[in-house]
Amino acid sequence: MTAPVTVLLLVVAAPAAIAMPLGADQGPGEPIAAETLTSPAVLENESLGPGTVEVTLVASAARMSLVPGVETDVYAYNGTVPGPTLEVREGDRVIIHFRNDLPEETTVHWHGLHIPWSADGSPFHPVAAGESVDFEYTIPEGSAGTYWYHPHPHHRTALQVAKGLYGAIIVRAADDPLRDIPEKLLILSDNRFFADGSIDMPDRHTPVGNIDFENGREGDVLFVNGQIMPVIGLRAGEVQRWRVVNASAARMYRLSIPGQELLHVGSDGGLFEKPVPTDEILMAASERVELLVRGTGQPGTTTVLRDLPYNRYIPQTRPADWSEPNDLLTVHYPDDAPVEPVAIPSTLRRVEWLDTTLVTTTRVMVLTQGFINNRAMDMARVDETTTLGTTEIWQVENLVGMDHPFHLHGFSFQVLDRNDEPEPYASWQDTVNVPAHSMVRFVVRFTDYPGKWMFHCHILDHESAGMMGILEVR
Amino acid sequence: MRGKGTAAALRFAIILMVAVATSALVSAYTQRPDPDLSETRLSVHEADQEQIMRGRQLVLEHACSGCHGGSLTPDGPAWLTGLTESLPGNEFLIGPCFTEQGAQPCFRTRPRNLTPDNLTGLGRFTERQIFNALRYGLRPGETPDVEITSTTPGQGNFPASPKYLAPPMPWVAWRLMPDEDLWAIAAYLKRGVKPVRNVVEDSEGPPDFWVETYTDVLAGNPRPVPPFPAAAERMPASGSPDMDQVLRGRQVAVQHDCGACHGGFSNPDAPGFLAGVGISPDAIEYPIGPLTEPPLSGPCSVQADGVACWMMRPRNLTPHETGIGGYTDRQLFNALRYGLRPSTTADVEIKSTVPGQGNFPADPDYLGIGMPWPTWRYMSDDDLWALIAYLRHGLKPVDNEVAASEAPPDLWAGMYTVENIGPYPAPAFPTANEVGGRE
Repeated sequence: MTAPVTVLLLVVAAPAAIAMPLGADQGPGEPIAAETLTSPAVLENESLGPGTVEVTLVASAARMSLVPGVETDVYAYNGTVPGPTLEVREGDRVIIHFRNDLPEETTVHWHGLHIPWSADGSPFHPVAAGESVDFEYTIPEGSAGTYWYHPHPHHRTALQVAKGLYGAIIVRAADDPLRDIPEKLLILSDNRFFADGSIDMPDRHTPVGNIDFENGREGDVLFVNGQIMPVIGLRAGEVQRWRVVNASAARMYRLSIPGQELLHVGSDGGLFEKPVPTDEILMAASERVELLVRGTGQPGTTTVLRDLPYNRYIPQTRPADWSEPNDLLTVHYPDDAPVEPVAIPSTLRRVEWLDTTLVTTTRVMVLTQGFINNRAMDMARVDETTTLGTTEIWQVENLVGMDHPFHLHGFSFQVLDRNDEPEPYASWQDTVNVPAHSMVRFVVRFTDYPGKWMFHCHILDHESAGMMGILEVR
Repeated sequence: MRGKGTAAALRFAIILMVAVATSALVSAYTQRPDPDLSETRLSVHEADQEQIMRGRQLVLEHACSGCHGGSLTPDGPAWLTGLTESLPGNEFLIGPCFTEQGAQPCFRTRPRNLTPDNLTGLGRFTERQIFNALRYGLRPGETPDVEITSTTPGQGNFPASPKYLAPPMPWVAWRLMPDEDLWAIAAYLKRGVKPVRNVVEDSEGPPDFWVETYTDVLAGNPRPVPPFPAAAERMPASGSPDMDQVLRGRQVAVQHDCGACHGGFSNPDAPGFLAGVGISPDAIEYPIGPLTEPPLSGPCSVQADGVACWMMRPRNLTPHETGIGGYTDRQLFNALRYGLRPSTTADVEIKSTVPGQGNFPADPDYLGIGMPWPTWRYMSDDDLWALIAYLRHGLKPVDNEVAASEAPPDLWAGMYTVENIGPYPAPAFPTANEVGGRE
């Protein structure tokens, strides 16, 4: 990574209030809440050693209020939903003392991290109820970014995540070009409850369970860091860095702030080379984005972070209200004095393309409804084999009428093209959405870490039903 | 005893039969053949070639393109490419709204792209998945590539939660085709047709829309078909055509779904099997119109005020004098091959499709509204003679006088022409839309 060479002052047009959709802003004179967004606790480092992060993580059953007025039986990491955030730096040695106090088997998958297979927390690494295990790994240089962790037991992932087991990982770089910009972590999730507060997660072979399987289960309650419609304060002129994690089982978020430009600066595997101005960002299940938001609203008004409608569904099971936008949080522009605009580097870091002349294999992954290459997951079968040091192109084809987000464990990749349209810039991803009847090709290098790595649809209901395969790296 | 769902499904199937016929004619009417035989011919193993040609024959005579795109023959544009903007009429309304405007529920069925394009067609599905779709109704995109040895969900690789094709597929009669014919269709679609990229949005309807009804329909249309002779059948008299021919004719009758309109569906045990309106509870008279100009539309209940509506009355096909008893085999052959009404067409061998030439009547009188089914003329001579032998010698005569169907006298005169329904015989393989051929 290199220090920013030039500095670009981004001129973001101040939106006129009338540019905002009706209902998005709140007129002066109405009471405006102060910032209510809270962040999950950061896992406490128990190590005094330099470059070492040693933490304790416990999964257990708990009872808490997720929606007002009722309590819910949940699964929680260290007693909270979402779980605490694992904060580390590139190069850190990480030791996680994990204890499974759940009444069932679980695993902890460190989604997106490039770490040894033994620490992957895949279905091959079950932790029985009552057992403890230590995860140990080193955070690779150059991997600064936003990741997350969640359980991954065979057939039970969707259920355990729905019950509350998910948390964020932030990997920091020593030379983070945005280190002076205040940041916020936004973990998006959704859930569905019965009136008594219990989680509505029907059996797969019921009519509603069938629809949940087809679509991937969605909930009508949308959470940010476990809160419903929290408020973020954003002063005039202020720039904030938002790290957004899509921890939903299936829901895709088409993020926008009405009337406001966003600066998309990073994906699953960290920062882009250059900021990308945009009006909206589409996030598939398990994806992360980093974006910069500048306070351009009139002091004393509010707007919202909105999830715009996105048709990822087959018509048979498309929710009736799919075309309705969802509001995720309130952005409050306080009356405070404006802040001097900060300089945003025009170059964030170098992101080199992987050398595609080294590609020796193109692997075709055909996605249908619940199957990859026409097969359902079999733990005893290796679907694909490769050797260390190989560079490959994976051609992921979605044959059916709904989107499938494709995730590869252990190895981040670079999307080359989508339906033959070349990707405009290099970025690191571990999940890529493959829209209905389309094709995405990515390049990936299997540098190290042999093992049996999963690849799967990250609609958790599909994953848990077996829309998953095994790549053995030898 | 059949349930309410079956009755609805039966009626639905009839409606669709008509829709298929009319839409095929509409697309034929609007498309002009554009043969291009200059394509490079690829070498294909001869046995494969035979299978592909058999598949082509079956695709032709079963009118797949009537819904899935193209004209009736493989030389026109959009052959089997699924719903396209150039053929918007192939999107069907499913549900009560088909007969009653605005009635609910109402779903749109969108015929799929059957060409072997990887992303939008059948390219990445195996021939076994296509076989499983036609035989068991299972969606290739939701069913693994496995041999299915049961029809009971959860057993013998039959999915515990089966996902069926969108209505009107799986066409129940087509599952009665012999294995080798279904494999041949799969082979033709995968290896005999050029891939065309055309995204078709999925059909609508709740995910379980078909499950109950389809199960119900299957119960009324057993596979295998009951042993010959079933209740509606009789052993051929001595001196009749040989048994093999009669049984072949029976196979042709059931897999072409004659009973869907003429009674009894594909079940020769059903009361009134092929005996026409009035005897068979399944054969209903059916209002159709307006038919005055394209696009030919469906039932009259959705007509504009004052537009003519005609009753289609499926005939008695049994060998009684009220059925086909008074006609010669050749007259029946001419009805199926050329669409000519037996009662008003001379018993002569026809050697042309041009009115006034080769014994083709100068002023042809065609069958009623639903017939002639344009693609059945592509059946082989052997199959048509076999079908006729079965009707005459394998069915019990049933006394059932069916009133004539209503139709404007010149209904087909301007429609049943080479320009509109395509040439007979079909253009040689491969057309511009096809691949393969011997070197």
